[in-house]
Amino acid sequence: MLSRVADSLYWMSRYMERTDGILRVLKINYASSQDEMHAFSWKPVLRIFTYLEEEKAQAIANHSRAVLQHMVTDKENPNSVVNIVTHARENARSVQDHITKEVWQCLNDYYHTVRNEELAEWFDKEDPVSVLDILIKQCMLYYGTLDITMARGEGYCFLNIGKFLERAIQSADILDVKFSDLDYDPAKTDTMYWKYLLLSISGYELYLKTYQGGFEARNVVEEIVLNVNFPRSILYSINNVHRYFERLNTERKNSGFEKVDFMIGRIKSRVKYSTVDSILDQGLHTYLSSIREELQQVAVAINQHYFAYT
Amino acid sequence: MQASELLNSYYVDSHTWDEMYKDASVRDQYKGVVEFLQQLSIGELNHKEELAKRLFMSQGITFTVYSSGEGIEKIFPFDIIPRIITPAEWHFIEQGIKQRLKALNLFLKDVYNEQFIIKDGIVPVEMIYSCPHYLREMYRFPVPHDIYVHIAGIDLIRNNDGSFYILEDNLRTPSGVSYMLENREITKRIFPDLLPKNAVRTVMEYPNILHRNLVSLSPRQIANPTIVLLTPGIYNSAYFEHTTLARLMGVELVEGRDLVVDNHRVYMKTTSGLQQVDVIYRRVDDEFLDPLVFNPSSMLGVGGIMSAYRKGNVAIVNALGNGVADDKAIYTYVPAMIRYYLNEEPILQNVPTYHLDNPEEKEYVFGNMHNMVVKKTNGSGGYGMLMGHTASEKEMAEYKSEILKDPRQYIAQPIISLSSAPCYMNGRLQPRRVDLRPYALSGPDGIQIVPGGLTRVALREGSLVVNSSQGGGSKDTWVLAG
Repeated sequence: MLSRVADSLYWMSRYMERTDGILRVLKINYASSQDEMHAFSWKPVLRIFTYLEEEKAQAIANHSRAVLQHMVTDKENPNSVVNIVTHARENARSVQDHITKEVWQCLNDYYHTVRNEELAEWFDKEDPVSVLDILIKQCMLYYGTLDITMARGEGYCFLNIGKFLERAIQSADILDVKFSDLDYDPAKTDTMYWKYLLLSISGYELYLKTYQGGFEARNVVEEIVLNVNFPRSILYSINNVHRYFERLNTERKNSGFEKVDFMIGRIKSRVKYSTVDSILDQGLHTYLSSIREELQQVAVAINQHYFAYT
Repeated sequence: MQASELLNSYYVDSHTWDEMYKDASVRDQYKGVVEFLQQLSIGELNHKEELAKRLFMSQGITFTVYSSGEGIEKIFPFDIIPRIITPAEWHFIEQGIKQRLKALNLFLKDVYNEQFIIKDGIVPVEMIYSCPHYLREMYRFPVPHDIYVHIAGIDLIRNNDGSFYILEDNLRTPSGVSYMLENREITKRIFPDLLPKNAVRTVMEYPNILHRNLVSLSPRQIANPTIVLLTPGIYNSAYFEHTTLARLMGVELVEGRDLVVDNHRVYMKTTSGLQQVDVIYRRVDDEFLDPLVFNPSSMLGVGGIMSAYRKGNVAIVNALGNGVADDKAIYTYVPAMIRYYLNEEPILQNVPTYHLDNPEEKEYVFGNMHNMVVKKTNGSGGYGMLMGHTASEKEMAEYKSEILKDPRQYIAQPIISLSSAPCYMNGRLQPRRVDLRPYALSGPDGIQIVPGGLTRVALREGSLVVNSSQGGGSKDTWVLAG
């Protein structure tokens, strides 16, 4: 497979994963903002997903519709959904002969949907949840179309490596920022805080089934970092990065394979052999930062060995 | 209003050949379609037109117009009413194009080798050497199977008596074939069952034939040679076509930056190292192909590709230097070439053409400019053209002074009216001028022409310019089975 093609597939996939993550977080946080007695603050969300300066973030932190517009339809925001989907589609456009026609049409339709001028108006005048639902559905359509139509070759591996790397980084970010908002002191909040956090990464029901009782910070950490059955946990995501990367170990493998494989294996082991206690002992923020740092190094190494074509 | 009434309002100019109407009655080949249209209401027709637009949009068959800093996706206008060609007409066209291409290919082989045609005084030597597309780099280079023109798009028009004329030969990197294929796909969706009912011949063989021809050119005798389609990239207006063809043939779509030349061999950069490339179907112009040989500022090409080509380590399709044969000044000599190389009379006629570097012909053209169309010999896309019947005196004077600067760069032709075909516009059928571009593929087994082509339409009433860059649209083109 051409290096340029692998690169584009990887980024298309990362952008789509990011889109999905942002939309889900927005939907749940919006619901949360309607459910609180005191003013709900969007600051953690803005910190995870935007590059806004402190004052500007502060200025819109209590205005849900302004936040939604900034993060979904604002063309000036490089990380808005409209811009990310445009990037994903541009990447898809340059590899149309490597994704199925169905996947291309799905992304192309998404692009036309999200660029629809009426979308911004709906955010202002209609129920924002309906708008987010339309966009989330398009994401699910994308995942389903990929799953059903794409051949399980090299391209599929790069798609999944991109997707799960992005997801692992996102989950680490969300967990870190949500805890930092409490100064890493779980006593500072109530159960609703945890409920909405889990809902925003689709882990609420699993939590209830696993822990039955009320919400405890250490259980939340355990689920998001270590639960191998939770598709958005850090460990699950890294396991999948590893799984799809191993598949590139073919007869004609890349000379950098061993090196990248070592890096992925190392971080996988680090997370796998962590416990909630060991994580909290060294401090959640320290732990998550080092995980994120290592994941970034993996991304850099993949780029260097597999995508460098200039 | 019923659609039958909409047909009654069809007005045909008596000096124009109409593809559908003759003496106020429908030609046989159009009867099936007309009957079908008559069963539809205006609402249904509008709905079909809407569906066609949506299909183009959703498949991304679009080009991007950049305005105020952001791209707007547009579709090329598509008219839902097909253009229909009878078996007899097609047979004539097919024979004519095959004969012409045979002669043009022989001409290219000749001018890059022995140059008999110059020595025998058929084509003046200055015509060849003054042509900017004549490449000395191709001199005495034996191309595989002696084929220069693997893919040709020949533009045909019809005069008011219905006879076909060759308007232009496109022998470099002719585009538009994806529209032949996609327009047919759209027709299948908007007019269910209509194609089989009318016994329309399929065009779907095109990618298969092309792929077979490309495989046969591989310099390495191996089972699965690596074939690539070289595109200038996603900002090229024909990018959609490049992806479509790559997908339909199952070949790799590459950009210049994906390729590298080492030891006179071309490789592509893959995730598992370098992989040798055997055949390149390039959609990049000669000038940009190799920055070491041609335009040094080109970012689209591959440095050293020309040396790999000349060593015979890679096949390039179409061959380089073909521009000397589809130059608009050389065009006038094609009938003479057919007689010279094949000892046959040309089947398809040229439009009479005047050379402006000939003083007598120039006098004549300047005196009759309002009946002439004047073109640049190396121009394309309808740019830089002067249509004498619509130009103002001032425009003509300006154009004349341009011509006098370098007369070799211009030719003039009498304005041919072009045949008209029905188009569905604003709820009515209206006649609009059309041309026809069939696509011919040459391989070691001979020349094959897929039964169909691209019919381009001048969408403005009375306009004779069909180029898409000048507001032209296209139609599905049906060749009926005999």
